Amino acid sequence: MSMSPALRKFALTAHVTASVGWFGAVASFLALAVAGLTSQNPQIVRAAYLAMGLTAWWVIVPVSLASPLTGIIQSLGTEWGLFRHYWVLIKFVITIPATIILLLHMKPIGHLARVVAETTLARGELSGMRIQLVANAAAALVVLLIATALSIYKPRGMTRYGKTRQRESMQ
Amino acid sequence: MQTKEELKTTHDSNRDTGTPRWVKVFGIIGIILVLVFVILHLAGGGFHGHTAPMEHGGQQP
Repeated sequence: MSMSPALRKFALTAHVTASVGWFGAVASFLALAVAGLTSQNPQIVRAAYLAMGLTAWWVIVPVSLASPLTGIIQSLGTEWGLFRHYWVLIKFVITIPATIILLLHMKPIGHLARVVAETTLARGELSGMRIQLVANAAAALVVLLIATALSIYKPRGMTRYGKTRQRESMQ
Repeated sequence: MQTKEELKTTHDSNRDTGTPRWVKVFGIIGIILVLVFVILHLAGGGFHGHTAPMEHGGQQP
């Protein structure tokens, strides 16, 4: 399946927008998570976790789904393919778990947002969960940075499947 | 996107057999990180699970 140049550009635009948007949203989320964990001001803590709840549901979840989806569409519609080149395959392998882990962590994010909406979070309260959100956001940022770097540098290396397909197309 | 010339160059360089070193290094680092992640979650390590705890006044939200 090969896309026309116009469709290819559209798919690439969608993918880059979703992917870099995901990175930016997680970076903002991390800043809020750090503020929520470290601030002495109850209002800032409250605002941070409320904002994290909104950001996660309305920005991060949609782009975390759009990024791999547009990536798959784009890879299958171009000569790169999804499984032919290691840089594409590794991006896929690291992005899918990142999306899954995010979705698994929506519960504690929502819980914290509900708690601060109803009352004031005491210092040290739910600290384990709050620390985990910081750690997970930081880890997600690293994963997304790696994916971005792979997209730009496109380090060489074809999988066995890719080499077989290439040999077939050359015959 | 990759041009036909770049694809040919990629083909030429990819005639080398075996997995590229950078992929192997990536794989090793990835395995280590997954193990650390699993160990941390299994050991507790100060982290909470993914379900809402009952820390806040003993009440579920």
